[in-house]
Amino acid sequence: MPSLAVANLMHRKLRSGLSIMAVSIGVAMLIVMLGLSHGTLDEVADRMQSVDAEIVVLPQHENVIFTGGAAFSGEFRPLIERTEMDHKPIVKSVIPVLFDTIRLGGQQQRLFAIDAKDMPAFLGGRKMESGRMFDEADRLAKLLDSQRNAKGYYDPAKIDDADVNRACELVIDSRLAAVGKYQLGHEETILGRKFKIVGIVESGVAGRVFCPIQVLQHIKNAGMPWASMFFVQLLKPPAGQEKDWAERCAVVLAERTKARVEPKSAYGNLLAESFSQIYMFMTIASTISMVVCFLFILLTVYMNVLERTREFGILRSLGATGGYLIREIVSESLILCLSGAAGGIALAFLAKILIEKFRPLLTVKFAPEYLLLGVAIAAVGGIISAVYPGWRATRFDPVVALSFE
Amino acid sequence: MNTNTDLVIDAHDVHHTYRQDGTDSPVLHGVDLTIRRGEFVLLMGPSGCGKTTLLHILGMMMRPTSGSVRVEGVDVGSMSEAERTRFRRERVGFVFQRFNLLPILTARGNVELPLRLRGDTMDGQAARVLRQIGLLEKADKKPRSLSIGEQQRIALARAVVTEPHLLLADEPTGNLDSATAGAVLDLLANLHQSCGLTTLMITHNEHIATRADRVLTMRDGRIEL
Ligand SMILES: Nc1ncnc2c1ncn2[C@@H]1O[C@H](COP(=O)(O)OP(=O)(O)O)[C@@H](O)[C@H]1O
Ligand SMILES: [Mg+2]
Repeated sequence: MPSLAVANLMHRKLRSGLSIMAVSIGVAMLIVMLGLSHGTLDEVADRMQSVDAEIVVLPQHENVIFTGGAAFSGEFRPLIERTEMDHKPIVKSVIPVLFDTIRLGGQQQRLFAIDAKDMPAFLGGRKMESGRMFDEADRLAKLLDSQRNAKGYYDPAKIDDADVNRACELVIDSRLAAVGKYQLGHEETILGRKFKIVGIVESGVAGRVFCPIQVLQHIKNAGMPWASMFFVQLLKPPAGQEKDWAERCAVVLAERTKARVEPKSAYGNLLAESFSQIYMFMTIASTISMVVCFLFILLTVYMNVLERTREFGILRSLGATGGYLIREIVSESLILCLSGAAGGIALAFLAKILIEKFRPLLTVKFAPEYLLLGVAIAAVGGIISAVYPGWRATRFDPVVALSFE
Repeated sequence: MNTNTDLVIDAHDVHHTYRQDGTDSPVLHGVDLTIRRGEFVLLMGPSGCGKTTLLHILGMMMRPTSGSVRVEGVDVGSMSEAERTRFRRERVGFVFQRFNLLPILTARGNVELPLRLRGDTMDGQAARVLRQIGLLEKADKKPRSLSIGEQQRIALARAVVTEPHLLLADEPTGNLDSATAGAVLDLLANLHQSCGLTTLMITHNEHIATRADRVLTMRDGRIEL
């Protein structure tokens, strides 16, 4: 036999259904927001970890996510290369990256402009699945190097545009290739020039789209050897100095460059930090939506209680205690909220499927904690929403309640 | 302490005044009443004279303004609300003029409700009582699909399913036509006869008087001698 709580909820199907739906939407929203933001950030952080380098050098005070443009002039690279600790060099090599934002695969992508010879550091053991590296035989790189003065600058007016155009080539990752149905040889207009896809790499590398850094510097910065950030490969620590080597080198590099220097392992935290404003906003939005949900539940349960005043009188005449009434009402509220949580989890998975279908480059990751959090909030909210209605139910005078119409 | 356990109800000089919005309406003006175990007592009287009020006090639904009321030797005045609730649950059965079945539960669900409130399984007890009142085959119907006579029989079944010591019925046939009322009263009388259930019933029905042990008349908040 179903309990009184279930019977009551079944008796008011529409109202119960709407309440469950409200909680479902709230819980789903919470879970999807968490899953989407953490999933996408984790994925970006993981890809950054794949770079074969120990240290990242970023512009000071800049939000990691929006790092872009030429933040570092040509002086920084030699400065980093020559940094020493205890009069001994610490840097093995410096990998400059110039970022830009382009549109590919139906959404914004960060363009990683790098030197072709640095590609192995980005591949980190991953394979080029098909095609080849851009700027074949370093033609453009060599041509420009031959023109550079002692400070590394050349006169862009003296470069034949055809040479630059020949090097307008892209290497993309397999996930983007799959999403955009891109094949080798596909041409895409970027920054006013035709770029050709010449290689596809296994996904998991730091960037989804790579192009020669010389091309981007030439197009955007008149050939200035500028960079948005650097990855730094360190030399092996001297014997006995292994502990916190990357951290200590980062401190020295930061002093030297006045830039923001962090061990690469801290990149995930940097990302999360740059998102803290957005996180806070999302947390507030989710919290408000949950509060609205529970006000809805409170209202539903309260209306149920008021409508059933007479029923509570009857129960009292049969010897039901106040505790029994409260348990009934809390059960009702909990059934609504936990059904809502279950519905919310189902809805969240549906949203994940839809997001992955229509926005395949976004990563939605539901950690068990998020699902548990959804259920826990629903349970706590359910109990809290039942407190006032339950208390009211016990305050009815049984005799008066019995004569209630 | 009253040691005469033969007296199920022993009320003396009971007064009750309703207080509502600052105005007092005195209803009971010194009721004296004793009912022995196993008696079947009718309470009659004009509408508004305080019969229901007295019944609620005897059933421990509320406390009198003054006077002493003992039910099975226990003084109502000395009991907390929780104790009175428990007393009701364990020893009193109510039948109301308006049946007061829960519409959301089936007939069986309604009959089982007092058992569940007692945390008592009493296996098969609900079915036994439903068979006794001849409604076992309608056990899974909701009250609204039963006739009103059937609804009142279900309410009666609910009142006696826990085998209470005292049955309080407040105009149980007040909403029924005379044929249906007859059936319910027969059932009540049978229950009283077969289990010796102490019964106090408020009624306007003169015909049942012959089956009762005593008929009391109430007027202006007092029981007439
Ligand atoms: N809860 C209440 N508050 C105020 N007055 C009440 C209440 N219940 C009953 N009364 C009044 O008390 C009087 C007696 O009522 P009641 O005991 O129901 O009489 P009866 O059952 O004999 O018709 C009536 O005048 C009624 O209006
Ligand atoms: Mg009455």
